[in-house]
Amino acid sequence: MASSSTAAGGGNMKGYFRQRKKTGGITKSNSNSKSKKSSSPDHSATLASDIAKPSSLISHASLDLQDDYDGNEEVLRQFDMNMAYGPCLGMSRLDRWDRANALGLNPPKDVERLLRVGKLHSECLWDGRV
Amino acid sequence: MEVDSENNLQRKQSFYQSTDESFEIQKEMYRGQQYSQIYFARLHLMRTLLYSLLPHWKPHVPVCTVLGLEESKECIIVGTLYKHMKLKPSILDEYSKERSSTPLVKPHNFVHADDQLVLEDESGRVKLRGAMLISSVYVTGIVVALHAKETVGGDFMVEDVLEAGLPHQEELPRNSGEDKYVVFVSGLSVGSSSSDPLQFQLLVDHITGHLGDEKEQSVAAQIVQVVIAGNSVEVPRGLLNGQNLASKDQSRLSEPIKELDILLAQIAASVPVDIMPGPKDPANFSLPQQPLHRCLFPGSAAYNIFRSCTNPHSFELDDVRFLGTSGQNIDDLEKYSEANDKLEFLERTLRWRHLAPTAPNTLGCYPFTDKDPFFIEICPHVYFVGNQDKYETRLIKGSEGQLVRLICIPRFGETGVAVVLNTRNLECHALSFGTQFGT
Repeated sequence: MASSSTAAGGGNMKGYFRQRKKTGGITKSNSNSKSKKSSSPDHSATLASDIAKPSSLISHASLDLQDDYDGNEEVLRQFDMNMAYGPCLGMSRLDRWDRANALGLNPPKDVERLLRVGKLHSECLWDGRV
Repeated sequence: MEVDSENNLQRKQSFYQSTDESFEIQKEMYRGQQYSQIYFARLHLMRTLLYSLLPHWKPHVPVCTVLGLEESKECIIVGTLYKHMKLKPSILDEYSKERSSTPLVKPHNFVHADDQLVLEDESGRVKLRGAMLISSVYVTGIVVALHAKETVGGDFMVEDVLEAGLPHQEELPRNSGEDKYVVFVSGLSVGSSSSDPLQFQLLVDHITGHLGDEKEQSVAAQIVQVVIAGNSVEVPRGLLNGQNLASKDQSRLSEPIKELDILLAQIAASVPVDIMPGPKDPANFSLPQQPLHRCLFPGSAAYNIFRSCTNPHSFELDDVRFLGTSGQNIDDLEKYSEANDKLEFLERTLRWRHLAPTAPNTLGCYPFTDKDPFFIEICPHVYFVGNQDKYETRLIKGSEGQLVRLICIPRFGETGVAVVLNTRNLECHALSFGTQFGT
């Protein structure tokens, strides 16, 4: 489990240089938020590792959680990663949900509800990043 | 069929219905997807089907996924086959530092005794062994169920294979016992130096009833449909060498199509014609090939019984189902597997329930996301393939009493042979036109 508390690093050096790392990559946010949540959704099947985030990187930084990343997006990302519904790259999430439904895979209904409401990302989490 | 007082013969009619919707890609939008999507759709579609067949095959053997295999325990797994071929050309060979002695001239057939079969599903892949599995029969892309046991080395020793088998077939309708004929022709190659325009003209004249006496004409009056299965035109590609074309060359480029249009218009004036694109026609490259554009046939397209169709093409004529391609799927199978004759390849694709299993591995294909249109849902009564070396035909039977007429249509430009099928009893014969005298 990654430690989310800012560790008091040895010496004044760390205190001198404010380190505020804007996490652009996906993996860091993943492991961060995974540590914040105590339980993962039922239908998750991720193989993301729980490598502890080195405390030096966030010692005087604020965790970047403004990345459109709330509970709903987490649910959708778990849906993306679930390999029972096939690959997620190259399809919009709703199209993938419709395909899973048409093939009789019973994808979770709350994912459909979230997608049809329309406020969240319509594309999968790798969209534009690969 | 009445004969009028002035010997005017009426051509027979039949009810035509095209079932090509799944092969049309106008509605598809490319979103940057890769081929993993079509493989997933294919695996899922066929796995559901195979799971439903398992209780009849081996009801007491447990089913599991590739990752769920346990050593020395018998089980059934369903997955996509992948054939690792030593001689298969790979783009990476050009970049490998040490060039082994692979010949630069590509062999016609890439099968080798050392080819390895691997079974793959979403969870993993496993090497297959066993005398039951003759690797020269199978190709990459088929979905099968295997009854096997995992060995100590991590391989899977196969004891039995289950293919999907022929799909369900509607019974052949008995429509008043009338003889109605369908003419199949392919590889017209209009515009090529080897094709004889007189031969094609003879064929057109025969179909339209301008040849022969009354008896001959009454036979021609029973032709209700003509299907042209690909490679109708040979565009002089030598002109396309990267330079700007002079106007003289531009008209030379379009002459074969114009010639074809004139001849097709003669046919279309009298009998319904379906024209399918082939590998050498001016259509898109990857399967499913889209219909040749109407503007290529200004004369013929004026007739509404002239239909430009997709490749593969599927249609119904008086409730007799036809399905066929212009040859790319069978030619590709011939490169990557072995059989006694082309009809055996045709039969295999039916038993695997997939028109083109090597797509998209070695055969160009559109990256569909939610469906695999090459999956054969309903068994056709007539299954044809165009642009083959010679005319061959066979009637095969399925386990539920299905009867399918398999037809290999030879290249007309080379052989002068067309194929005629009687839809009443699925009997088939060749129609050959020779223009050589005294040989």
